[in-house]
Formats: sequence, structure tokens, C-alpha cells
Amino acid sequence: MGLEQILILALDASNFILAIVLVAMGLVIIFGLMNVINMAHGELFLLGAYTVVLVEGLGGHFWLGLLLAPIVVGLIGLVLEELVIRHVYHRFLDTILATWGLSIAIKQAVVIAFGPASHTVSMPLPYGIELFELTYPVYRLFIMAVALLVILATFLIFFRSRFGLAARGVIANRDMAACLGINTRRLDRLTFAYGAALAGLAGAVMSPIMSVDPQMGLGFLVPAFLSILVGGAGHLAGTLVGASVIGGADTLAANLWSPVVAQIVVFVMAIVVIRLFPRGIVGRWMRR
Amino acid sequence: MSAPVRRAPETVLAFVVWGSFALAPLVLSDWLVSQFAQYFTYGIFAVSLALIWGQCGLLCFGQAVFFGLGAYAMSVVTLGMVPGLEHAPSSYLGLVFAVLLPAAVANLLGRFLFYGRGLRGAYFGIVTLAIGVVAERLAVNWDYIGGLNGLMNVPPMRFDLLGAGAGLWEPVPLYYFTLTVAVLVYAGLQALVGSRYGTVLRAIREDQERTEFHGYDTADYKLTAFTLGASVAGLAGALFVTQFSFASPPLIGFGLSTEALIWVAVGGREMLLAAFLGAILVRVVENALSETLGEYWLLALGVLFILSVVLFPRGVIGEVIHRASAVWRRGGPPTRG
Repeated sequence: MGLEQILILALDASNFILAIVLVAMGLVIIFGLMNVINMAHGELFLLGAYTVVLVEGLGGHFWLGLLLAPIVVGLIGLVLEELVIRHVYHRFLDTILATWGLSIAIKQAVVIAFGPASHTVSMPLPYGIELFELTYPVYRLFIMAVALLVILATFLIFFRSRFGLAARGVIANRDMAACLGINTRRLDRLTFAYGAALAGLAGAVMSPIMSVDPQMGLGFLVPAFLSILVGGAGHLAGTLVGASVIGGADTLAANLWSPVVAQIVVFVMAIVVIRLFPRGIVGRWMRR
Repeated sequence: MSAPVRRAPETVLAFVVWGSFALAPLVLSDWLVSQFAQYFTYGIFAVSLALIWGQCGLLCFGQAVFFGLGAYAMSVVTLGMVPGLEHAPSSYLGLVFAVLLPAAVANLLGRFLFYGRGLRGAYFGIVTLAIGVVAERLAVNWDYIGGLNGLMNVPPMRFDLLGAGAGLWEPVPLYYFTLTVAVLVYAGLQALVGSRYGTVLRAIREDQERTEFHGYDTADYKLTAFTLGASVAGLAGALFVTQFSFASPPLIGFGLSTEALIWVAVGGREMLLAAFLGAILVRVVENALSETLGEYWLLALGVLFILSVVLFPRGVIGEVIHRASAVWRRGGPPTRG
């Protein structure tokens, strides 16, 4: 294996890892703060991609769609939280089912509105960049930059703002935080909307390199969940580690054997890791 | 002391339900009779999920793995594809394999997942979801069991005894055979649920730690329930495939697993009979409405599912039964005890 191939492999792996992080970030925030397993997250991702499709269909430019997607999906998240999620907060396992129902309904609504066939989104940056002796698509680097920015912004919000302080307070002890005057209801609403907006952004930013169809959400949902559990569900940092393990192993195995084998191997590996370290890889060292 | 009194309305209901199913072929067309025979296999499958989820609290997102294993085991045996058994494609043997193979897989899986620190609640759900995806992938890529195309021309159930034999392919005998199996499975599991063992399962569902502190080996209970549920699901899969004559990867995967969750949630997870009826109800309504509603049907099903989770945690049918039996107990005919 030459240097170029290793470089390509590393770039592909980083690409996949950062895409998973982008999806998993919203999931882990919603899970950590609200104890809600959001099975509809893949469909929020889907809605982000379809926002771009809709904007382009109406004659708008891709960048406008990318800008609108997190806003639109964030608002949808706000509505879903109000209509469905808040009724099942106290029934932990039922959140899985309720959001699963949402996922079915949203997916089918998309099929009705846009048809079951796949759509394509124009490639906004159709250039390649010269790295040593090979060319790499610029847009993939753009996706990685967006993901890094989102990770940075999320860490800043959660560790450097009053909102983040309140949110971490609620994660640590919800009742105590409420006693101290934190409006947990408002926080839940904002958190869910923020998580949904991140999923929408992820869907929009990934749309030019994927075929946009109603089934695209599931392909990211399961790896994202496994990343969170492998890394450790209580921490943002755990998600980064988990996604690196899942995404890295998947890219490597896909290169060594085939994408199908890679998926099977990675899923089985993830199940074993989750069973052996229920607190996640990071959770073993970061005890609160 | 009060247990028989409490359960009396449900027992009466069970007799009414099974009695009406027994009489139904008198009024149903042949086509509907064979449809219902197939729905019964879904019903048995739903009961297996209600046992582990509704009673024991194991939210399994991969129950179809066991249904599919049963279906494939039955197909492979009756198509004479098992090395050494090519010349004896027997339905009996197929049934044995279809029950034992899923039980063995569930037992090994359960040993890995439940003991030690073990996986609980949502973690178990997500892990079983991943297992379902892996199982479907494997089925699609394993050529021995037909890969993506699956196994076609699976023969119908055939019972040979002392040289004489009969294949089950006429709708009415098939209907009664499947109904009998369903009643037996229901009666057996209902007895289990009503026993001390069932009480411990529900205790684990409500509070695993407290049950442990009372001296129960909760992992053991979960393992037996999971294994039993898997074998019942495998039996349902075997019955299904002999009627449908076609085993394909969707039977083992994620889609059917979640469909079963919907049946059980809409029917009622805490009552085996409600779960059984949930499967039948969803399939019947789907049959009636999917033509008129077209692609809106799945949307409606999703919304119905959300509503039943949010508003009726007992399930739609379970809620009706619950209210009816409450009325019965207050003002209805007196029951023994």
C-alpha cells in the first residue's frame, strides 16, 4: 500500500467519522439531557436533506438550502417535542417507541410529498484539490470543516455559556437544577430543537454526496447510536471517541474486505464493546 | 385468593375470542380463511414478543431474527438441504429445528447479554436493533440459504404417521391447524404468566434491582424468558413459511421486528391475548385500507402507533379489555370466589 492510498484511506475515514459525529452529536445531547432515545433522528437528518431538495426545486441555490435546513428542522423538532416527546418523558422505554412511530410517520410523509425515488442535489464545489500526487474532492473537505465547526460550537455552548451550565446542571441532577430555578421545561424544548437542527444540518451538508431517498436516515442512525454507546453515553467526548472507533474500523474493514463485511464486523465489534464496557470506553476513565 | 376473581373477565374473553375464531370459517370465504391462517402465525409471533417485552420488560428490536431463523430452519430441512438429511425432508424434523435453533441462538445471546453487569433497557434495545441488521445482512449474503432471493417452493406442512400422510394445503384444515397451535401456545404461556414465574418476570420489569435484592437471579429469569420467546417466535416462523412457501431475508430483519413491535404496542403489551389480537387487527385493517389509503396507510399506522404509545400504554385493545373488565367487576355478574 502506497503513501497515497494510506492518505486516501485516512481522509475517507475522517470523512465518515466526522459525518457520524455530526449525526451523533444531536442524539447524544438529547439522550444526555432529556434521557430520550430519539429513533426519529435519522428522519430529522432526512428532512434536512429534503429541505435542500425543496429549495433547489424552487430555484434557490444549494447554499440557501444549507442555511435553511437547520432552521426548518429545528422548528420541526420544536413542534415534535411539544406534540409527542413531552408526553413520554417519564416513561423512558416508551420514548424509543414514540420516536420510532415518528420516524415511520415522517418517512412516509416524505414519500408522499416527494415520491419514493431518490433525488440528487447539485454538487456546490465540484473541484478537486491536489494533495501530493492525488486529487481529493474539495466538498468532502468542506463537510469535514463543517463537522469540526459544529463540534467546536457545541463544546463552546455546553462548556462556556450560561445555557450550557444550566444544561449540564440538569444532566447531573434534574430535580436539584429545577429547585435552583432553572426552567427545565424550556431547556428541554431548546435542547431538542438544537439536536434536531444539528441533524438537519448534517442531512443538508451530506446531501450532495449521497442519493437523497426516504431510506437514507437509517444508514446513519445505527452507526451513530453504536458510536454513542461505544464511547459512553454520558459525555460529548465519548461520542467523538466512539465515532472514531466505529467510523475508522468501518473504513478500514471496507477497504480490506468489502462494505458488507465491514458493516457486519463493525456492528458485532460494537455489540461486544458495549457489553463489556456498558459505560463506554471513555466512561471507564471519566467517572463522575 | 383474589387472583381468579381478578382474571375471570379475561378468561371469559379468551373463550369468546377463540370460540369465534373456531366458528369463523363458516362465514369467511376460502381466501379470507387462508389469510387468517397466516395472520395467526403473526399473532403467535406477537405473543412471543409480548412475553419478553410486556411481561419481562425486554424491549427487543430484533425479535424477527428468531422468527426468520425458524422460517429458514423449516425451509432448509423440508427442502432437503441439510447434509445427511437430504432423503428425509420431514415436517416434524423441520418443526424441531425451527424451535430449537432460535432457542439455542437466543440462549447464547442471552448468556452474553444478561449476565455480569448485563445490558438493560435502551441499551438492550439498541443492541438487538444492531443484531437484527447484522442478521439480515448475513441472510442476504449467504448463498446457501438463497441470498437476496431467498428460498422458494418451501413445501406445505406434511404429517406422516405409520405410512399414511397428509399435506396441509387446503385453507380450512390449515386454518384449524394453525388456530390449534395458536390456542395451545396461548394457553401454555398464559398459564406461565399466571404462575409464580410470571410474577417474578413482572417484578423484573417493574424494578430489576429490587427483585435482585429479594434474592431472585434476575439474569436467569430473563434468559429463560428470552429463550422461550425465541422458540415461540421460531415456531411462528416455521408455520408462516409452510403457508407462504417462500423464505426471504426480510423475514429475519429489522422491518418485521419493528412491525411486530407495532402490533404488540397497538394491541396491548401486557396481555398476551391483546398482543395476538393486535397483530390480527393491524393486518386486517391494513388489508382493508391499504387499497383505499394507498401510501397514506403507513402514515396512518405511524400516527396510530404514536397515539397508542402516548395515550394508551396498555394498547388500544388492552385498554378496551381493561375498561370492560373494570365495569364487569363493579356492576356485572358476580364471579366465583
